[in-house]
Amino acid sequence: MSRFFRGGESSSESESESDFSSSSSEDERSSKNASDASSDDGGSSDSDSDENAPRKGAGGASRFMRGFAGSDSDDSDAEDKKRVVKSARDKRFDDMRNSVKALKNAEKINDWVAIQNEFEKLNKAYSKANAIIQREGVPRFYIRAIAQLEDFLKETLTNKDAIKKMNASSSRALNAMKQKLRKHNKQHEADIEKWRANPVTEAASADEAAKKAAQEASSEDESSDESEDEKPAGRSKWVKGGDSETDEFEKPKQRTKKKGSKAAAAAAEEKGEPGDFQVVGKGGKVFDVKPENLFKKLREIIEARGKKSTDRQLQMQHLERILEVASTPYQKVKVLLALVPSRFDSAPSSTGYMAVDVWKSASGELNQLFGYLEEHTNIRIVEMSEEEDEEDVAEEKFKNADTVTIRASLSSLIDRIDDEFTKSLQHIDPHTLDYINRLRDETVLYALIVRAQKYFERIDFDLAVDHTKMRRVEHLYYKPDAVIQAVEKEVRNLYPALNEALEEPVALVDHLCTSLYKTSTDRIRTRSLLCHVYHLALHDKFEKARDMMLMSHLQDHVAQTEVSTQILFNRTMAQIGLCAFRCGMVKETANALQEISSSGKVKELLAQGVQLQKYSDKTPEQEKLEKQRQLPFHMHINLELLECVYLTCSMLLEIPNMAANAHEPRRKVISKPFRRMLDYNERQVFTGPPENTRDHIMGAAKALAAGEWQRCRDLIHAIKIWDLVPNTEKIKEMLTEKIQEEGLRTYFFTYSPYYDSLGIEQLASMFSLPVPQVRATVSRMIINEELHASIDQPTNSVVLHRAGPGVETSRLEFLAGLYADKVSSFVESNEKLLESRSMLLGLQQQQQQRDFRSRGGERAHGGYRGGERRGGRQGAYGGERGGRGGRSGRGQGQRAGR
Amino acid sequence: MAQHDLTTKIGHYLDRHMVAPLLEFLLGKEIYSHKDLMQAKYDLLSKTKMIDYTNQIYKEINGLEDEGDNEPGYEERRAGVLQKFEELTEQSSEIMDMIQDPIVIQQLKQDKLANIQFLSDNYNFKPEMLNALYEFALYNYDIGNYSSAAEMLYHFRILSTDYDLNVSSLWGKLAAEILTQNWETAYDDLNRLKEMIEQRNFTSHLQALQQRSWLIHWSLFVFFNHPKGRDGIADLFFQPQYLNTIQTACPWILRYLTTAVVVNKKRRNVLKDLIKVVQQESHAYRDPITEFIECLYVNFDFDGAQQKLKECDEVIANDFFLVSLQEDFKENGRLFIFETYCRIHQCIDIKDVSQKLDLSPEAGEKWIVNLIRNARMDAKIDSKTNTVIMGTQYNSIYQQVIERTRALSFRSSLLASNIEKREQELANRRKVRGKGGREEAVSTPLEGEDAE
Repeated sequence: MSRFFRGGESSSESESESDFSSSSSEDERSSKNASDASSDDGGSSDSDSDENAPRKGAGGASRFMRGFAGSDSDDSDAEDKKRVVKSARDKRFDDMRNSVKALKNAEKINDWVAIQNEFEKLNKAYSKANAIIQREGVPRFYIRAIAQLEDFLKETLTNKDAIKKMNASSSRALNAMKQKLRKHNKQHEADIEKWRANPVTEAASADEAAKKAAQEASSEDESSDESEDEKPAGRSKWVKGGDSETDEFEKPKQRTKKKGSKAAAAAAEEKGEPGDFQVVGKGGKVFDVKPENLFKKLREIIEARGKKSTDRQLQMQHLERILEVASTPYQKVKVLLALVPSRFDSAPSSTGYMAVDVWKSASGELNQLFGYLEEHTNIRIVEMSEEEDEEDVAEEKFKNADTVTIRASLSSLIDRIDDEFTKSLQHIDPHTLDYINRLRDETVLYALIVRAQKYFERIDFDLAVDHTKMRRVEHLYYKPDAVIQAVEKEVRNLYPALNEALEEPVALVDHLCTSLYKTSTDRIRTRSLLCHVYHLALHDKFEKARDMMLMSHLQDHVAQTEVSTQILFNRTMAQIGLCAFRCGMVKETANALQEISSSGKVKELLAQGVQLQKYSDKTPEQEKLEKQRQLPFHMHINLELLECVYLTCSMLLEIPNMAANAHEPRRKVISKPFRRMLDYNERQVFTGPPENTRDHIMGAAKALAAGEWQRCRDLIHAIKIWDLVPNTEKIKEMLTEKIQEEGLRTYFFTYSPYYDSLGIEQLASMFSLPVPQVRATVSRMIINEELHASIDQPTNSVVLHRAGPGVETSRLEFLAGLYADKVSSFVESNEKLLESRSMLLGLQQQQQQRDFRSRGGERAHGGYRGGERRGGRQGAYGGERGGRGGRSGRGQGQRAGR
Repeated sequence: MAQHDLTTKIGHYLDRHMVAPLLEFLLGKEIYSHKDLMQAKYDLLSKTKMIDYTNQIYKEINGLEDEGDNEPGYEERRAGVLQKFEELTEQSSEIMDMIQDPIVIQQLKQDKLANIQFLSDNYNFKPEMLNALYEFALYNYDIGNYSSAAEMLYHFRILSTDYDLNVSSLWGKLAAEILTQNWETAYDDLNRLKEMIEQRNFTSHLQALQQRSWLIHWSLFVFFNHPKGRDGIADLFFQPQYLNTIQTACPWILRYLTTAVVVNKKRRNVLKDLIKVVQQESHAYRDPITEFIECLYVNFDFDGAQQKLKECDEVIANDFFLVSLQEDFKENGRLFIFETYCRIHQCIDIKDVSQKLDLSPEAGEKWIVNLIRNARMDAKIDSKTNTVIMGTQYNSIYQQVIERTRALSFRSSLLASNIEKREQELANRRKVRGKGGREEAVSTPLEGEDAE
């Protein structure tokens, strides 16, 4: 009943929630059509509802006045409110009727499982419609249905053969039904008897319905002629008409008569004061608030909060009303402190998110709240305090400008409003305008957080200051400078009292984070550090970001932190990787991205979407949690770019590496995913022109391996995603340079066995590198013993040493070397084995000697402990034998192994 | 040249008194204006109790010649200092007498508590006297009487059981020893201090970092003056915790570390670590000396290295700590360049390489000949073409396999014979024991072991 607001505004509501949303004319008409056309026994119930409507109208009158006025406007004038209610009631009955129909169908095919299900559904619908039924009596079709079901059951039970033919589940259902029905029908014994006495078949009731429909149509015409103020009259006419029709039912008739008169009274009342609305509570109570009883009302509402029967929507309205009435700032603050949480209460739990306009009003009210607090510094809101003063006393105190303490948690309100914002972004489709519009609200939220921070700073509430600062940082760290600057400026517009100097974005983040490092909360410290590092990485300050990350030693214990921090850590690592790439540090990039990119779960690790896994063994709860952790779209790191960067770096490292270790390709693998992709690519019979990023990189890798650096460069440059990186041209230039150098290295590894010497100038022209760079590269390779060659200065050429390993070795030679190594390690391990054995032997020898001596001593003392001694010795003996067995077994194993 | 001067940076980590020699050194060089330096020195010393010295500088700055022209407040301060000195002398006279008595010294032992007990029993010693001694030592240091401060602190350390005071007295003693240029004891004190710092459990990392960075800076005095210092500096600074300290707090120390490594012939093994650190910190600190290493070992740019070596010369000449190593560094730097060059090249033109080494062709040839003669490298000079031809040091794969497997068969046969011997021994023993007693015969150890 409480969902007028919601019914009015959102159409995505579930059926059960929108009790009254069915008031739309469309719904109504369809139900009418159904009663006209279908063979349902709609007639009787229709007439029921007609009589009932006015009474309902009385109950709900005020509700229509208040909440529903707007949503009704699209109804045709001819329709008055009673029909709105009627259709809602119809809906309940339609549900039941549908179940009855399904029940009939199931009976026809003798499907007891279905019967059981439908029966349960019917009963559920019945209990839902309980309120209506109590008013009007049990609907006839329901009684008919259960009576018929009972008959059918009896019939089936007599037919033993048929039961035997049934399958197991069916017969089980039959037995269950037998029990249930017997119990159930006892409640309705009287009604069933009545029906049996006067059975109205479906056909008959269908006739009735048709007749009734005609009547209704005519009366509708009539009522449409009537003007608004004649409504009561029209209604009583309706009631009368209903009476004449429903003669055959005694009880309902009497009741409706009574209700009819009541309705008339209510309508009169309504007519009497059409403009003067009153707030009416549940069950018709008038919610009347005056400054005198304000606190009492407020307390009532606060106490009712969280109870099952409490209507949250209504509470919100009441609080709004109280807020209007509240006059002093103290009162306002108190009311706001109740109103904002009640706004949050209205958000559907777990799945959904708070409606945007509710959120907006909540944020507005929070702003108001802070406004009051800033204006009246003698109101203090603290989380932990002694019992606060009675309201009246406090009020008095406030007037005398004494300090008034209120106990409430503002920081939790800030937390909540921030979380709700994130939640709504998670649920809104990021490619719509809605998302962008929603994103605009972030400025408001950010201003609110800043405001809260200033407030907490003023009241010296360190913990909350840190929390809000953290929130602030989390709203900033991933944004580019321009955005931060704009937001900061806007905050100063929204909140002119802010006395914080406008800082450079980098300085701002630095300043905030540095102040957070002093906090005592571990989590905040960790997170602020990560945010700081992320921000630095965003600004291409790789060294600083890396040093900070390393100094924090966070990699060691990040696994013990909570999931959201781990996600932040992953994000930071990814950003550091991208930063290293932008700075042209290939190796560092690969290192930073290695873990994330090779996991195959990039999306999950960065909380940017759930991976679709075929054999997912996650429970629904886990999935739900995962969904809750997702980052809003505007915070995402571009995954394709990330992959592209990682693969490109892998290529630059892996291709020379593969060329250098041609004999044992599996030994030194730098990037597994890259190797896998390359293998896959090579196995394909036909490779078409590259289409996506991966294809490009694989093509480039193959070109690089073959020494065609120009082709490699062209392919890499053709990747479109580079456009997303700032300074695209510079990045491409950097990549070209790296490709040239790595191409040269690969060339050396691959082709040096076929040369005696290579001219440095020629190499330089081949790879269009300057001569000094070629020389430096060659020198580095020589020093690192990757290349066994030396430079001949007079001829300016690289002379390759033919006999060096790794340069000219054939496979056989290589294996011979390997074999020699293995043999020598064998000999070594043999020596070690003997050494450890002889040591063991020496120990045992000593022990035995000691044993021997002590035994001798004991014997000298006399053998009174003989039993014990013998036992001990036997144990030792057994042990030794066991040991021996083990040893020889091991020996055999070794032999076999060899 | 001023951009490579580290005095201001280092000064933060030194005691006031220890900066004075640095400034004194700078006065001799012409990097900064004389007047500024004098002013700096005056500011520095005016906070100490060395009144006379300060006054002298003041006079020098202001060009005062006369006996009577002193800095304002000179007389009062001087009187105050002297009075305080008298007071402290008074207070500590008792204990001074006590510890200067050779008979007492002889009777003192290792155990501090026993010593205190002994003194209080026999010489009317009170614990308060120790504090007086400490105060007096501090005051002595402050007025520039370093040697007596060091001595007093030495005695204080023998007797005091207070841990914190012990540590600070050790710091004080180290400073005093450094200022009296008593390198031998300073070196010992430095090691002692290092141990203390390592053993101590600091409550915060920051504190540990501070202590270590102070130690690093103070140790520069010792390491560059003590004969064993060149090894010591490499050993100390390459310890992980000190390397971390350098990287986080004071990257400029890399200059001294680099120099020490280049100069030190025995510590070539740390070169690789050094290169790594220099490379890592290149964004935080660079000067010609670290750039020299970078050019030579990262970029293999010999001309650049040569250029840097020249620049280094100037930097070193203007560095208080390094000035004594100037020639050494030059020589070793040259050697570094040449060595690396030889490793890369097969055939070297003497003229070219002499130029790279900043030598005339004749001197270069001589230099190389000397190297070859001292068996430092495997090379020959072809005087016709005026080139050095390097010997090849690569073995063929066959050679390698033979070398690797040569010893194996011998080792294996040795192993087999060992096992055989042991088996025999075991068998013998079993026999002996079988005779010795029936009871023990069952418990024979280890037999039937596989001999393979």
